[in-house]
Amino acid sequence: MTEPIAVLEQVSYMYPRSPEPVLRDISLEIFKGEFLGIIGPTGAGKSTLCLSLNGIVPQFFGGRFFGRAVVAGLDTLEHPISAMARHVGAVFEDPETQLIATSVENEIAFALENLKLPRAEIRARIKPALAAVRLEGTEKKHPAELSGGQKQRLAIAAALAVQPDLLVLDEPTSQLDPIGSQEVFATVRELNKELGVTIVMASHAAEEMAEYADRIALLAAGELIAMGRPDEIYSDIERLQSHALRPPQVARIFYLINHGGILTPSIPVRLESGIAELKALVADYPLMPPTRLTEPPIRSGAPLLAVKGLKHTYSDGTQALLGVNLEIREGEYVLIIGQNGAGKSTLVKYFLKLLEPTEGVVTVGGTDTRTITMSDLARRIGYVAQNPDHQIFNASVAEEVAFALKNLDFPKAEVETRTRESLAAMGLWEARDMHPLALPKGDRARVVIAAILAMKPEIIIFDEPTTGQDYRGARYILEISRQLHRMGKTVIVITHHLYLMPEYAERVIVMGKGTVLLDAPIRRAYHEIALLRSTYLTPPQAVLLARELDDFKLLTPQEVADCFIGGHADQDAGGAA
Amino acid sequence: MTMMRFQTVERDSFFTRLDFRPKLVMMAVLTIIAFVWESPLAGGLLALSVIVASLLVGVKPAYIRLVITVMFPFYILLLLTHGFFNIDQVKSLTGKTALTTLFMFPQNWPVIGGGRMTVEGFLYGWNVIFKTLTLTLVIPLGIFTTEVDKFIVGMVRARVPYKLAFIFSATLRFVPLLFSEIQAIIEAQRLRGLAMEKMGPVKRVRVYAKVAVPLILGAMVKSQMLEVVLQSKAFTGSADRTYLHESVLGPLDYLMMTFFALLLVAAIIAYFTIGFGKFGGPI
Repeated sequence: MTEPIAVLEQVSYMYPRSPEPVLRDISLEIFKGEFLGIIGPTGAGKSTLCLSLNGIVPQFFGGRFFGRAVVAGLDTLEHPISAMARHVGAVFEDPETQLIATSVENEIAFALENLKLPRAEIRARIKPALAAVRLEGTEKKHPAELSGGQKQRLAIAAALAVQPDLLVLDEPTSQLDPIGSQEVFATVRELNKELGVTIVMASHAAEEMAEYADRIALLAAGELIAMGRPDEIYSDIERLQSHALRPPQVARIFYLINHGGILTPSIPVRLESGIAELKALVADYPLMPPTRLTEPPIRSGAPLLAVKGLKHTYSDGTQALLGVNLEIREGEYVLIIGQNGAGKSTLVKYFLKLLEPTEGVVTVGGTDTRTITMSDLARRIGYVAQNPDHQIFNASVAEEVAFALKNLDFPKAEVETRTRESLAAMGLWEARDMHPLALPKGDRARVVIAAILAMKPEIIIFDEPTTGQDYRGARYILEISRQLHRMGKTVIVITHHLYLMPEYAERVIVMGKGTVLLDAPIRRAYHEIALLRSTYLTPPQAVLLARELDDFKLLTPQEVADCFIGGHADQDAGGAA
Repeated sequence: MTMMRFQTVERDSFFTRLDFRPKLVMMAVLTIIAFVWESPLAGGLLALSVIVASLLVGVKPAYIRLVITVMFPFYILLLLTHGFFNIDQVKSLTGKTALTTLFMFPQNWPVIGGGRMTVEGFLYGWNVIFKTLTLTLVIPLGIFTTEVDKFIVGMVRARVPYKLAFIFSATLRFVPLLFSEIQAIIEAQRLRGLAMEKMGPVKRVRVYAKVAVPLILGAMVKSQMLEVVLQSKAFTGSADRTYLHESVLGPLDYLMMTFFALLLVAAIIAYFTIGFGKFGGPI
């Protein structure tokens, strides 16, 4: 690292009408050619910090800005955003909103046209920019024809074409499936290592940030809490936990081992070094067979939800399901995983009768779903959408919970009783008169769940509840799913975040290419590593490290650590994932 | 869900290779002529020519069928209103004092008894149908045969303000997203047990109106995000920028523009001299 490309001196910032600063007295330098990761819980100020690097904060938003930010030699207060755009490329979280053109080449050209580059120069820059993100040959495609990962790579290419001094990426993988996420991280690393592009990336993906970043800035409540190499930041588990952040699982395993009395030379934060240190430990310490591995109860009886010979072909000829057979029994907690396009969403649409089977049968409690209406089915299966705001329509929490009951013509007394019970069960009684949209996102999901609960469904489906959430938000919603499961509900969760699920799920269904690739208890499914990798799913680091021990089928950092410390580690020493 | 997309024809022809400006001239000329002509025969010929031209350049028959199907109730309404009630205008156009009866409801029928449909009104109704058909189909003929890039640059070259051209382009990009958002919200409502199939039209409209809440909130968030994205891409809205795509008029473009300009002049002269296109005229 040589000279700084960006210097922030005591930067503080308040959005208009914001009661408190979003950034507080931040001073940092970003060096040419480095990969700086920014981590912090939701609301820490990561996005605002990113936007301050190209002058959008404060020039576009207004508000009060203190201190000085100089990027590529330009003071961000003194130069218009359009001038800063020549030096700072930006990539944002939502792959849909940030692509504004109707073809790939137009997307790349858009900023260059605004910067008044000659046509020949624009033409000359399109190919290399696409090649840098491995999207050659897509020039004439419409952005809607690209996958999520390709869309983000296109956004990166469009930013790169400007040949910026600094590329800022704000949570670019949080909306993506594992393949898309891997594509983006691989692309960014290549740009950084091969082409020397300076990268600033805000992300919750702890394992990847530990792997790729040169330095990490930890933000919380607008303050720069710590700055250092990934091994310095991610090995301080207690500090991370105090800010509701998740360390890479490898770091957590070694933290627990150290906490249990076995001191290791360091707390590794990357998988490779973790495996090396684990091998050394295995050589020095006897392995203790795990004693408290939980196994899901064996459930018998008639299936609550069954799918037989289900096939689905879209109107364009794409085969989404190729004869799926499944049985889900009462009280199960099922995790469905797979890439986008694997058939998960199509399958769930059949559960919910959003699609009518052309071949095959879906039954709920033995009843063929073709013989009942969708509203009747909604009384048996509740669906929590990825974006809870799509399911919120009313002016108060209580009205929201009563909404469907009234529409289904329940007697008034019944509506009141069920509304009261649901609000109490979800801890929303105090908030019953509030506007649902005045609540935080996690609580809005709780309102939707309360509304679903009022229908007394037997099955509740969570569709990617952890996408776009930080660790705290993801755990919050999964805890609700656990609560519902304990109430006797059958729970089905679709998520890409495998590391979050061992504490919750009993059974895993791996979908791929329109079929069920694997249907097994979670302990077995997570250890089918070759199969998971064949469909671009990466098992959690705890599982990969457990492979270095005996064939114990371990799932969590605690279970791996217990093999050395015999289950004596303090169970309250932090979260499980 | 399949993403709704801006339609473009798949067939490559001289017409798809034309600049957008001659197409703009064509749309303007055909629109003016459609408005001027009152004769159902001339109007019919014009509408037929637009349909044939659309099919020849690759507009899908299914699209034309869709337009006609959607408009069909409106066409019936036009025939009935003009046939039964457009008396004064038709009298003044034809110069007749009495109109010819096509049929009449018996006097003793309740409400509609004695109602009389006139031949002239009925024919004028057909003229209005052909007018609307020409106006509706000339747009796909001009727009579906033009790539969006050419379309935007063509608009700018035709001195349409860049901001307007950009808004049009952004609409093409984001309206499909908006539709998928609406679809997701309606699905979410149905999944909360709303029995749309059991609801009357008034209740159903009330429920659909509730879609507006999450839709508007989502659109507001997206529009602010879009503004941030545009700023980060050095967008200022100024026309002082360069363009990746060129818009250069070739000989064929000039030929087309000349042809349509002459067609307009000829149609107007023929209208006023020999009454071509007049209601009750030679054709």
